[in-house]
Amino acid sequence: MTMLQAPPRTGRRRMRRLGLGGVGSVGAVLLSIFVAAAVFAPWVAPFGPSERSGTPFDRPSSTHLLGTDDVGKDLWSLLLHGTRTSLVIGIATALLAIGVGAAVGSTAGLVRGWTDTLLMRLVDIVLALPFLPLLIVASTFAGRAVATQVVLIAALTWARPARLIRSATLEARTRGHVEVAEGMGATRWRLLWRHLSVGAAPLLIPLFLRAAMGAILLEASLSFLGLGDPSRASWGTTLYWANVRSAFLTDAWRWWVVPPGVAISALVVSFGLLGVAIERRLNPSSVER
Amino acid sequence: MTTTLRRAGLTLGVLLMAVALNFVIPRLMPGSPIRAIAGGGDVGELTTAQRNALLDRYGLNDSLWVQFRDYLTGLVRGDLGTSLGDGRPVSTHIGERIGWTLLLVGTALLVTTVVGVFLATAFTTSRRRNVDTGGMTTSIAFDALPPFWVGMMFILLFGVTLGWLPTFGATALVGGGGVVDIAKHLVLPASTLILTGLGQTYLVTRSSLIAVMGSTHIAHARVRGIPERRLRYGHTLRAAALPIHTLVLLEVGWLISGAVVVETVFAYPGLGRLVFEAVEARDYPLLQGSFLLLTVTVIGANLLADLTYPLIDPRTRVSS
Repeated sequence: MTMLQAPPRTGRRRMRRLGLGGVGSVGAVLLSIFVAAAVFAPWVAPFGPSERSGTPFDRPSSTHLLGTDDVGKDLWSLLLHGTRTSLVIGIATALLAIGVGAAVGSTAGLVRGWTDTLLMRLVDIVLALPFLPLLIVASTFAGRAVATQVVLIAALTWARPARLIRSATLEARTRGHVEVAEGMGATRWRLLWRHLSVGAAPLLIPLFLRAAMGAILLEASLSFLGLGDPSRASWGTTLYWANVRSAFLTDAWRWWVVPPGVAISALVVSFGLLGVAIERRLNPSSVER
Repeated sequence: MTTTLRRAGLTLGVLLMAVALNFVIPRLMPGSPIRAIAGGGDVGELTTAQRNALLDRYGLNDSLWVQFRDYLTGLVRGDLGTSLGDGRPVSTHIGERIGWTLLLVGTALLVTTVVGVFLATAFTTSRRRNVDTGGMTTSIAFDALPPFWVGMMFILLFGVTLGWLPTFGATALVGGGGVVDIAKHLVLPASTLILTGLGQTYLVTRSSLIAVMGSTHIAHARVRGIPERRLRYGHTLRAAALPIHTLVLLEVGWLISGAVVVETVFAYPGLGRLVFEAVEARDYPLLQGSFLLLTVTVIGANLLADLTYPLIDPRTRVSS
């Protein structure tokens, strides 16, 4: 069937050059919108993230596009500034989690033996712990600053990447040229830097995107439970106050409850779609058959 | 046999880790634990005598070793401390709540697994790329929905606008408690968990199926002319069942995490809601007790699932 397909039209050809396909392009466009919103929030947003610019519970108007919350903060500005929090947490946490995961996974795969067994049992244990309750306990005691949240979420999400990177390392080790290099007396470090890192690097991108998705949702849940950083605008925190003030029992749900929820979902979806497209590109066998 | 040993070790490991974290986290954090006990308020106003009285009362003046020993012996006796809020034992609080969480998470787990695995099998094995892409994209979208927000939307739609279902608590305040009443109160929280859990189930099942679909025995079965339906459910799904089974274990963890926020939205009186109430009231013993019990729930589900392993994979059956 693929042979009979018409050649791609010009508009599509440009997207195809990026190699992301329809699904991936949607993800890329969505994500760029969010990144733009995050970068330009201080200039685009009419008010600051903690500025009480209007009377509480205002309906949408020309000054307050999405009305105001229970203390008179502009909801549209909160939405824009909240993008920053979600993106920063998503990216920073994913970097940290993948860093730890890669270190643990490649060590386990390279050294094997007892180190491997011990590290993998630790991974199993971390995977089996109920992460949101643990995160709640930890952040109740550790505080609510964004940096703390990043460290805590990463401490709970490095385990799955570690396991996948370990199996990728083990698999890469069986390849001909790596076996030859090992036979010729290459040290473990050399194996890792010269050979295995090349084999495992493409895997890191989808893993990074997945870790970011998890982190964004976890931060939202945490903030929704009232454990968000009080000095920052966060979509979860906006929804926490909406829930506390029962905003969804009145008309206010349209401008107070729907926008942050849609924003969280859309941001996470954009990472997810990009991930699918990249995975497809790296490993066509996961889709073709 | 080694598998059994390994799993027993894992169970023990998870339990020890949870117990250790519970002990370590409050003591590792900067600042005096007094602040936590005094409700995070200003402790500067306390006199030295008051301070020491508080520390003595919670055994915080003892050495760490003694504290840990007391904590462990308490746990073994089932003593989780007393709630700072109303002075009742934490175990009593938990006993009142755990049933509702088991009901909610159990229902969600059952439906999510059955529906998710069925949908994934039907769409993934359809051999039409568009159907597969559609199914996958949809499940990514479902997976991206924050459970608490879906819950709020459900309350809005089915509770406030349509008025079909109750949105508050587990039973009606007046004359509640019957089976129908409990079921009605369960529908919306459970649906929220199911809807947001379907995506993960679908995606994991899908990748497990795809790994099997490329194998020779499936190609061979197709060549032998086995009908498509039997090929899908009898051969492909059967061979992919073990990773899916492992998935169910992970799912318990996700559902428990989801239950914390969903129970909060619906004011469902389970352990998750108890966690939220403990956070709001700064009731630390209650918070830690609830966390420990949630971990035990996950471990219990794991053990239960282990018992069904031999049913799914004949290789793990003990030969006589």
